[in-house]
Amino acid sequence: MAEVKKQENDQVLQWVTFQLENETYGVDVMVVKEVLKFQDIAPVPGAPGYVMGIINIRGTVISVINTRCRFGLPDRDPDDNTRIVIIEIGQHIVGIVVDSVAEVVYLKRSEIETPPQVNKDESARFIQGVCHRDDQLLILVELDKLLTEEELAELDH
Amino acid sequence: MSFFDDEEILEDFLVEAGEILEQLSEQLVQLEKQPDDKNLLNAIFRGFHTVKGGAGFLQLTPMVDCCHVTENLFDNLRNGKRQVTSELMDIVLQALDAVNNMFAQIKERIPPEPASDELLQALQVLANGDDLGSVPADPNVSETASAARGAADVAIVAADGSASDDMTDEEFDQLLAALDSADFEAEAENRASEPPATPAAGDAEEISDDEFEALLDQLQGAPAEPSAEKEPSANKEPSANKEPSAEKEPSANKEPSASKEPSASKEPSANKKPSANEKPSAQQNSDEITDDEFEALLDQLQDGSSSDAPPAAAPAETSKARPVLKAVPDSAAAQTPPPGAKPEPKPEVRAAAADQAPVAETTVRVDTRRLDDIMNMVGELVLVRNRLVRIGSTAADEMLSKAVANLDVVTADLQTSVMKTRMQPIKKVFGRFPRVVRDLARSLKKDVVLELLGEETDLDKNLVEALADPLVHLVRNAVDHGIELPDKRQAAGKPRQGTILLSAEQEGDHILLTINDDGNGMDPDMLRGKAVEKGIMDKDAADRLSNSECFDLIFAPGFSTKTEVSDVSGRGVGMDVVKTKITQLNGSVFIDSKPGRGTRIEIKVPLTLAIMPTLMILVGEQAFALPLASVSEIFNLDLNGTHVVDGQQVVTVRDKALPLFHLRRWLTQDAQRGDAERKTDANVVIVTVGAQRVGFVVDTLIGQEEVVIKPLGRMLHGTPGMAGATITGDGRIAVILDVPGLLKRYAA
Repeated sequence: MAEVKKQENDQVLQWVTFQLENETYGVDVMVVKEVLKFQDIAPVPGAPGYVMGIINIRGTVISVINTRCRFGLPDRDPDDNTRIVIIEIGQHIVGIVVDSVAEVVYLKRSEIETPPQVNKDESARFIQGVCHRDDQLLILVELDKLLTEEELAELDH
Repeated sequence: MSFFDDEEILEDFLVEAGEILEQLSEQLVQLEKQPDDKNLLNAIFRGFHTVKGGAGFLQLTPMVDCCHVTENLFDNLRNGKRQVTSELMDIVLQALDAVNNMFAQIKERIPPEPASDELLQALQVLANGDDLGSVPADPNVSETASAARGAADVAIVAADGSASDDMTDEEFDQLLAALDSADFEAEAENRASEPPATPAAGDAEEISDDEFEALLDQLQGAPAEPSAEKEPSANKEPSANKEPSAEKEPSANKEPSASKEPSASKEPSANKKPSANEKPSAQQNSDEITDDEFEALLDQLQDGSSSDAPPAAAPAETSKARPVLKAVPDSAAAQTPPPGAKPEPKPEVRAAAADQAPVAETTVRVDTRRLDDIMNMVGELVLVRNRLVRIGSTAADEMLSKAVANLDVVTADLQTSVMKTRMQPIKKVFGRFPRVVRDLARSLKKDVVLELLGEETDLDKNLVEALADPLVHLVRNAVDHGIELPDKRQAAGKPRQGTILLSAEQEGDHILLTINDDGNGMDPDMLRGKAVEKGIMDKDAADRLSNSECFDLIFAPGFSTKTEVSDVSGRGVGMDVVKTKITQLNGSVFIDSKPGRGTRIEIKVPLTLAIMPTLMILVGEQAFALPLASVSEIFNLDLNGTHVVDGQQVVTVRDKALPLFHLRRWLTQDAQRGDAERKTDANVVIVTVGAQRVGFVVDTLIGQEEVVIKPLGRMLHGTPGMAGATITGDGRIAVILDVPGLLKRYAA
């Protein structure tokens, strides 16, 4: 019974996958607005640490978040594969820097497993689930949670 | 029917009524000075009337009530039944405030709260002050008494009423148009019976304009009830209209009225649109009304009658019909002067209205958001041009450079034109000051006259709005702190009446606003004392301040020279806010004062906020833009020639020691300090913040560039020292520095 029910509700979701320090992450395709090659990011003095700076996309100024810093990973110099993924969090449009962007994958909701509750540290907060695919672990992140409640509140002030 | 179900109409009402209310406050204050100005009285009357009409249409009953009583009062005033007194004005202004409050609530889409009963009663008492006014429907116009009553009561007895009157065709036309537009079926009926009678009686007085207005008023205001009953049938919808109206107006009337020449003019309206449409030729000869105009009138009628808010429809209609009415007959009777800008905003009451007045329709109301969009795009264009100019200057192609030069010119023109569309006369802000000054002066028992100069000066719409608060504050200050009590002034050998002069003028690329008062002035020594007392600085520092620096002290937070805190001032927060606000606008404030002679405050703001001239600099690899308004000079400095005073590096410029800051240390993280300091010479930009001047050491000076300010986005908005970002000619991003913020954040 449970199985049948599951299949009925088995939505197919699309995820944009990207790489960060040997791990593959996926984000909901609906929040991704565009993917850009890495370009010079103008630092904004006095900005919060997780904001790398701002970029110009066709005349609009967009803040770029340092994803590595957010995920607790060491900094790394950008290379040819480095991309800036422009996403929409709530009403905010921000860019996140990733090592590379791979593809869009289709996942059934039933394929998604809840993440192992190891710790409650900084990075676990925005992990939505995991998925095994071609012997690889895909970590699905919920970008809404990329910023803490307080940070978002700060933005909304 | 839900509260605000017709958003579009509501929006239009808000725009229109907003303008009128603004005017009203100005007019009311003026009225106090010229209590006998008939035109002014009429204008005010009409203002309340129009607002009432619109409110009625939207069924904002509390607003209608309040406007209505006020209107009645003004009706008495302009008929000379009452005299304008200060007490009366107080009540009227309160009424205006009440209306304004409701207006604000409506803006928020909150159902308006009714005005307080006391106020309404007070108004009513004033309005009824004369025994004549006890019943709103009572005729205020004695000569046309019967006609008025007839109409007001929407009674068919009008026949005998009208019998006593003779109206010229023209006047009658006006009456018709107005009444018609009011869309009171009853009136139509009324009139239908009226006209035939007219020629018969035709020997009595003539209706003057004022009386006509009164009549109108009564028709609309008083008979809300009776008309409501009768209207629905008429109002349901144009086509349905034909039937009931045919029934209502005794059909016999149509014929006779059409047949009688004098009433030919009335006929179209008496018959309302259907018949008018049928025989347009009939009205042709009627008189001044042309076909077009008539059509317009018809449109309006139809418009109104298709609405489902019968009683309310009427006033709204009138308000629209009137401009047309005014435009139509050449009105030898010198129809009372049109109320200010009325004919202009009116046509926009509804979209359809645009078609209604084919005459003299030269303005278009545009949503400011659209203008902002255009402005933005022009901004982008400017950036592209900048890039092209840069490329053009490096390429040796003559054709290219010619084209670029051409583009340069065109873009500049386009930019100016677009900018001009956003310009508004500063009158919009100045307009509220007479009221502010009057109220405050009255409550402080001072005698103050406010003079306005250069009201027509245009500046950016956003600026006009942003300047309102600071200016109000400064003007209040001038009344409260500046102007002395009349007795004191007399003792000092000054006229009892204090004068505040508020002026605006364009000075190159910025606007200069000055607020001059001939009051007490400020005593620098007293300010020094206060500063020490408040612990803002020690005595030595205070003594060293120049006079103008002393005056700037009043901008310090928490600084107040008033010993007592009043509801007007004395908390010491206002000037701080004023300063901050003006600085945000890239403006500056300068104070000059002579004890006993008065104070002069000068505010300089740029013409526009959207485009800003900046000085581009490089710090490290990164480009930054310093607002040119704050840059006072640039020079090359031998760093060995600097001194260190109290731990702060200073540079001597023309015998003045200015603190020197290395932007590299503030704005870059790596800050290869060693390098920067080992260099022997540096580029120094002297910036002015208020009365303070400081030097910034920068790595490279790029040059002057006009930039479009882009917000930093919500994530970075409010980062101290950063005003925004812009895209440079080469497509890179430069952060625009906010100098005061920068100093506050880093130099403290």
